[in-house]
Parts: sequence; structure tokens; C-alpha cells
Amino acid sequence: MKGLAAILQRELRAYFFSPLAYIVAALLLLVNGAVFWVIVSYLNDPRAGGSSTPLELFFGQTLFFWLVLLFVAPVLTMRLLSEERRSGSIEVLMTAPVTEGQVVVGKYLAALVFYVFLWLPTVTYALLLSRHSEVDWGPVASGYLGIFGIGALLLAAGVLASSLSRSQLVAAVLTFAIAGPLFAIGFLEFLFTSQVAQEVFTYMSLPRHMEEFSRGIVDSRRLVYYVSASALFLFFASRALAARKWR
Amino acid sequence: MIEAHKLTRRYGEFTAVDGVSFAVDEGEIVGILGPNGAGKTTTIRMITGFLPPTEGRVTLGGRDLFDHGVEVRREIGYLPENVALYPEMRVEEYLAYRARLMGMGRAEAAAAIPETVDSCLLSDVSRQIIGTLSRGYRQRVALAAAILHRPAVLVLDEPTVGLDPKQIVAIRELIRELGRRRTLLLSTHILPEVELLCDRVMIIDRGRIVASGTPDSLRESWVGTTTLRVALEPAPDGAVEALSAVPGVGAARPGDAPGSFLLDCEPGADPRAEVFRAAVAAGWTLVELARERASLEDIFVRLTTGDGDGAGEPVEAAAAAPAEPLEEAPAAEEAN
Repeated sequence: MKGLAAILQRELRAYFFSPLAYIVAALLLLVNGAVFWVIVSYLNDPRAGGSSTPLELFFGQTLFFWLVLLFVAPVLTMRLLSEERRSGSIEVLMTAPVTEGQVVVGKYLAALVFYVFLWLPTVTYALLLSRHSEVDWGPVASGYLGIFGIGALLLAAGVLASSLSRSQLVAAVLTFAIAGPLFAIGFLEFLFTSQVAQEVFTYMSLPRHMEEFSRGIVDSRRLVYYVSASALFLFFASRALAARKWR
Repeated sequence: MIEAHKLTRRYGEFTAVDGVSFAVDEGEIVGILGPNGAGKTTTIRMITGFLPPTEGRVTLGGRDLFDHGVEVRREIGYLPENVALYPEMRVEEYLAYRARLMGMGRAEAAAAIPETVDSCLLSDVSRQIIGTLSRGYRQRVALAAAILHRPAVLVLDEPTVGLDPKQIVAIRELIRELGRRRTLLLSTHILPEVELLCDRVMIIDRGRIVASGTPDSLRESWVGTTTLRVALEPAPDGAVEALSAVPGVGAARPGDAPGSFLLDCEPGADPRAEVFRAAVAAGWTLVELARERASLEDIFVRLTTGDGDGAGEPVEAAAAAPAEPLEEAPAAEEAN
């Protein structure tokens, strides 16, 4: 466990010392800020009608939200394991008293903590709104829960991709190749008429999940999906790290 | 302390290491020599637990390295051939991270880091960012990380590569010091280093140990005959014939300078006195008479330049020849 904590701390430090992380943070805030401004000014128009609150729309109801997520996951995770393999530092890492699982989880948690840090400033949007109108904090909390859960899933996919290649670029593209379908698979529900198929794809539809979360609906099935799929990705990543041991 | 039992590693069809067995005791420095691609690095990776052997096993104090992986690895310090560090970290930070990774306590680490920084000659760069350091410094940071947690077994792959001569002397002194209390396995290309540091040497070629023993015993069993260097002044005619006739001398041939000769002695013979008397009797002035010591280099070259099947034969002979033979893996314990 000490080893895991050491890895987590080192990776977090690496994030905060890397210019890439600040570029990602700036971009995320820029896009989110713009989206929020557009949403608020749209809803301020008396002709807009409808019953959505700004934060409801902000949490996952715009395409930009998903574009940012699909961009952030590869960038945060591409370095984690592939750089260890490329530089060769994996050798002194894996001969230290830590297991493959601890290495993978330590690095994953670091990415997750940094991801949370990236979203933290957006809480100010809610605070801003609360000064001018009533804010229902329940849906805000569940919206963030959704952001956290989906982020956890996509970052786990990124860690898996990073474990498979020595090249950060390949890892990033691979993450995109996993995260893209994860995001889009839900849309298949419209192609099928059978009830079972529709339910299966709805179950996996991340945009639908976010829509629920933004309205304050916390469905434990969504959380089970994120946790189990993330665990599966991380398990595969630790197996990929152990692949050198195949005899 | 650390024992390799019939280690074999195959990569697909290719056998990189083939049935290598040896043991290194506490307080002993053992050197691994071998040409590139001989299987040194693969052997070292198996010894440090990075790579499991296809067959055979590694035990450390009787515990199997792959069954008790995590705890046993704490007792190993490893400096790989390819020094890879995290370039964005400061030297001190990196060592603190390694200390935590190795499971050291806060107080323990706080005591060990300055001491290790000192002994690896890093005090003047301990606050520097690793990415800005020169090759020699980085090498020493990696060495510091390997010895930081006071491991019982140290495995150093090419520890003095990239250092300047002054640093090499200091680091060798450190290695000798470390070897006194620990089990130390050292791989190097620098043959004089082996003679300076190692109590025992293993020469690996094509994945097998072709010779093993103290540097002296290797010389004895592999060179066998002694060569005498003789210089006469002025260079006399017929000296080659006369010198060949001296009892104990197998063959004489002219050396590289005028008046100098090389005499290959018969096995076990030391005819220096006879050579002197022969020179006096012939009325030659003897200006040099020296026994040439075979260097490890000669032995190394002789053992590792065989081609294909030709090398197969000396391999068998080599295993039995050295005065201190290979540690045979106890057959009874071969569980897997």
C-alpha cells in the first residue's frame, strides 16, 4: 500500500509540473465557460421557453461537454504507463516491492484526482447562479457524480491503452478509439426495434446517463456500469504490464 | 545468499539463457562477463525478478523470488544497464520517492537519503532537476536509488559507464565497500574493473556459463602455459634456435622489437633461470626477462570467440576446469 501511495503522489506531482496539464485545464475552462455563457444567455431570452435550468443543460446536454471529455481522457492518461515502458524506468519500478495492480491503480487514481481538480473551478458557475436565482443543489451534486463516474470510466480506458504501447501517441489514439465507441454505442438504440436491444444500448448510453444525472436522478445501475467497466479495464492493464512474465 | 538454479529463458524459439546456475554469498562480489547478446542482461533481469525464467528458479536466502515476489524484491537493489529516471524530478525528490516505493519509513528515509547522496558524490546536485544532469550524474543517481534502502543483494549492470576517471575511482571504492557487507553481482565490460573488484568471475557466452572462478584460477586453468619476454643486446644471430633449445621452452619466436623474443614455455615449466644461464653461456647481455601474465582479456577472447559448434566442446570442459567450479544446483530441490 505504501508503494501505491508513493506512485500516486509521484504521478500527481508530475501532473502539476507538466505544462500539458495546464493547457488541458485552460482549454477545459475555456470551453466550459463559453458553453455556460451561451446557455445562460439563451435561457435569458424570453422566447426560449422550456423548463430546463442552466445547470441541467450544462451537465452533458451539449456536444462540447462530450468533446472535452473525449479529449481530456487520452491526454491525461497517455503518458502514465507507456512512458515508463519507453524510457525503461519500468524496470526499476517493477523490481521494487509493488505489484502490477498497485502500479496501475496508483497511476489511475492520480489521473482521477487530477481530473477532479480540472472540474473543480466549474463549481463557481453554480455559485454564481445561486446569487441571482434559486439553485437546486441536488441535481448539481448528481451532475457532478455523473461527471466523476464517466470520467472514471474513460480514464480507466486510457490507462489500459497506455499499458499497451510504448508510444504516447499510440496510447492516446487507442484511448480515443475505446472512449469514442463507449460514448457512441448508446446511439445504436435508435437502429433497433427489438426491446431487448434497445434496453441494452440504453443501459450503456453515456449521454442518456448524463441527462438523468443532470435532472437529479441517481440510478445505481449507472454506477455499477462505471465501476465494473473501469475495474475490467484496470485489470486488463495490470495483465498487460505482467505480459513480460509470460513464459 | 542469492542462488540461480538452472535458469533458462526462451524468447519464442530463441534461447537467450540456457541452464545457468550459480550462487553468490554474502560479502562476495561476483562479476558477470560476456560479449553483447550473450545473455547477461536477461540473466540479470531474472535475478532481480523483472523477468521470470522459462525454467529454473531464483532463490534469495532460500525463498523463491517469484513465489514470494513482493517481500523478496525489497531485499534487492538494482541498477539496470539502461538508466531511466524521471526527468522532471529533483534528485532529492526522486530518492524520497524511491524510499517510499521501497517501503521505508519517514525517519529511516530521512536518515538514509543524505548519507546515500553523500556516498554517491551527489551532494552538489541534490536540489537539481534530473533532466538537467549529465550522464555521469544520472548514473550515480540511479546507483543511489539502488543502494538507498540498504538491500542485502545488489545487482549492478555496468555501474561505471559514463563516469569520468576520478568518479570511476570513487564509485569503485564505494562498490568495494558495499561488497564487503552485501551480496553483490556486477556486470561490466571493463575487464580491469573485474580484476580490481571481483572475488569471482563468471564468463557467459551464448546463454551459458563457459567459465567461472577467481580471476587467478581462470588464468591458471585457461592459459596453462606461460610466456616469457626476453630482450638481448645487441640482437645476436641464431638466438631463436638457441633459446628454443633451452630446457622447459617449447618454442621461441622473435618479438616486436629487434633483440626481443617471446618464449612459449612447456606446461607447468618456469625456465627463467635456464634462460639466464643460456644467455650467460652464449655471452649475450640479457636486458629483460619477464613472465607475461595472461590478462582476463585473453581468456575472455579465447572463451567467447568460438564459432557455432566449435564452442560446444570447450563449454563442457570449462564447467569442470576452474579451481572453484560452478555451484551445482541441488538436484533434489528441483521442485518445478
